[in-house]
Amino acid sequence: MHKRKKAASMVLASLLSISLTACGSGGTDSVTSASNGNKNSKVTLELAISKSSQDSAFIQQDILDEFEKQTNISVNLQLIPAEQTTTVLQTKLAVDETPDIIQYNLASAITDLNLERNFEILDNESWASRIVNKDVLSAAGHIYSFHVSQDTGMQGVVYNKQIFADLGLSIPTSYEQFLAICEKIKAGGITPVFMPYKDAWAANIWPAAAFADFVAKNDPSFFDELNSNKKKWSDIPEFKTFLEQQYEVYTKGYTNTDVLSDSYDMAVGKFLNKEVAMMFMGDWLIEGVAEQDPSMELGVFPIPSSDDAKLGASPLGGQLFIPKKAKHLDEAKQFLDFIASKEIAQQIVDAKGYVSNFSDVTTPELPAYKQDIVDNYILPKKTVLTTDAYMLVDRSELYRLLQDQFAGGLTPEEVLKSWDEKFSQLMQDKGVSGF
Amino acid sequence: MKRAKNLYSYYMVFPALLIYSIFFVVPAIAAFYYSFTDWRLDRIDLKFIGWDNFEKIFSDKTLILALKNTAIFAVVTVAGKNIIGLLLAVALNMRLKTKNLLRAIFYSPSILSILVISILFTPMLRTEGTINRVLEAVGLHSLSQAWLTNPSLVIWTIAIVSIWQSAGFQMAIYLAGLQSISQEYYEAAKIDGASSWKSFFKITLPLLLPAININLMLTLIGGLKVFSEVYVMTGGGPGNASQVVGTIILRSFGEGNWGLGTAVNTLLFVVVTIIAIPLLIFMRRKEVTE
Repeated sequence: MHKRKKAASMVLASLLSISLTACGSGGTDSVTSASNGNKNSKVTLELAISKSSQDSAFIQQDILDEFEKQTNISVNLQLIPAEQTTTVLQTKLAVDETPDIIQYNLASAITDLNLERNFEILDNESWASRIVNKDVLSAAGHIYSFHVSQDTGMQGVVYNKQIFADLGLSIPTSYEQFLAICEKIKAGGITPVFMPYKDAWAANIWPAAAFADFVAKNDPSFFDELNSNKKKWSDIPEFKTFLEQQYEVYTKGYTNTDVLSDSYDMAVGKFLNKEVAMMFMGDWLIEGVAEQDPSMELGVFPIPSSDDAKLGASPLGGQLFIPKKAKHLDEAKQFLDFIASKEIAQQIVDAKGYVSNFSDVTTPELPAYKQDIVDNYILPKKTVLTTDAYMLVDRSELYRLLQDQFAGGLTPEEVLKSWDEKFSQLMQDKGVSGF
Repeated sequence: MKRAKNLYSYYMVFPALLIYSIFFVVPAIAAFYYSFTDWRLDRIDLKFIGWDNFEKIFSDKTLILALKNTAIFAVVTVAGKNIIGLLLAVALNMRLKTKNLLRAIFYSPSILSILVISILFTPMLRTEGTINRVLEAVGLHSLSQAWLTNPSLVIWTIAIVSIWQSAGFQMAIYLAGLQSISQEYYEAAKIDGASSWKSFFKITLPLLLPAININLMLTLIGGLKVFSEVYVMTGGGPGNASQVVGTIILRSFGEGNWGLGTAVNTLLFVVVTIIAIPLLIFMRRKEVTE
């Protein structure tokens, strides 16, 4: 009896330690709302979207109502908590509980959602022939996603036009010019560049554009070779140079002192208070500042890593995708046709101030900074997709390595070498051939 | 009849046990299985891969660093929380006028969530933050540090914040233990001419062992499972300098390696069990009853 008691208490102790270490191992958080099913054979499309994208132009109630009026197809929104979006969608796709339409961003869909296996190719849809810029919707040579805008965000140096004008500065077209500008701004008593690298991803804006610009001009097949293990990140000496450049901007005293303590959410305030003149970031920051103070005049120019660099086009943004295993495939395509119709697309583009991606839909009057981007970069084709567009794996470790460079722990060479190792391991885990 | 009565108590516990099994035991056993597979979020098919995940864990430099950091954090917080908690309890068990007020003050940080505390401390620990400003104001300029951005200091900083938050809670448990010790022992010791030190080591400590046990277990398991404060204050950074096992699990899941993440979690469970259960048994044997 005594022994049994002892055994029982041991079991209980083990159970206790299990419960203390059990760490909610990824159950399938079902965040689905009940499908209406086939009442009176009326089709209800399930559209899954992150709560953080609730202001998406595609799911505004008037658009959905109009679609239902025209087609008798209703759309049921599955709103997924932002921090769980990726996991929930991955789980749904893995167990064939696919929504009919998903809103996600193209670059992350490639790495997170196994784009080629899970999603329909949309090359032959009726609207595809009217698309102006297919690149922003494409991966592996096919259109996989849908959007009415061709501008998914530009990444470069966001700058305060007023400060530039006051100090008589013009946009730099080389790294040396950029340093000279920093020097003048610093002499004017303003912090030239704000680096919020407590958020490690922010440290990747400079290299993501610089690397992409360099290989587009000098080694166009680099990313294909990288993704088939024929080349490595450390094979390109210029990458090291670009990492050194970004670090040099910091060591020369052209930034905030506490780069590893300052976070991205401080950026808007820094610009509003005119404490800083520039930041390596996407143009979404300009939108954020404009919302607080429309009189602030900000613009964006390319990361000046090499002479006459192109502006980085972010492949991120909220595109629509149709899973191959959607239960209502035809109706889902009908929804895209509806959004792509001249009238509805025009309505969305006007409301949102988008750069139209349809040949027969006109771009409305844009905010000044957007117009600058269109005139100086998009129309003359001076944009280049950032490295994110070519990545098949999670990049968080690269961001951490860049952060480590600023903590003084790694040289640029070591950053690239460590990233090579991690990259190769991630590709191997993913089962990419050649690794 | 007696037997039926005994069984009756089992019927009562059955529903709770069932729920506990479904939501804790079964997933935990499933996790053991998954840690030996190449479970990934972008592949449906699972392959049994033996010890591969565990080999990967021990060949990963970052994970070794995370284990080291977790060990540092656990040792520092167990020592800090218990020594400070015990000292506070002994001090506030004396006849002080402000005894109740002080107890409330020291206990109050543990009422707040560690997440809130971490969010509050993060700006205070910046290079130009309150802590350094105060140090400079009192002439201790040389002590001001890059608390959260110096790779060799960061895990210690987080441990100190954790001690600050939790020592009051340990104090409360020690106080409860102290108040259950009869005054007669101390009176008898006094008559025998024992010093305060001798009383503390010969009476207080042995009779306080149950409370010490509880506190040691709680702080040790909490220390090994550390996640929230690291996640909020540094996210494991700068670079990977403050990664702990908990944040590595998150990292593995984020990279799509569910099997690997589960393996790290299983490893954590084994480590906690190997350390906690023998310690529990050992300390139990040392306990004395009044």
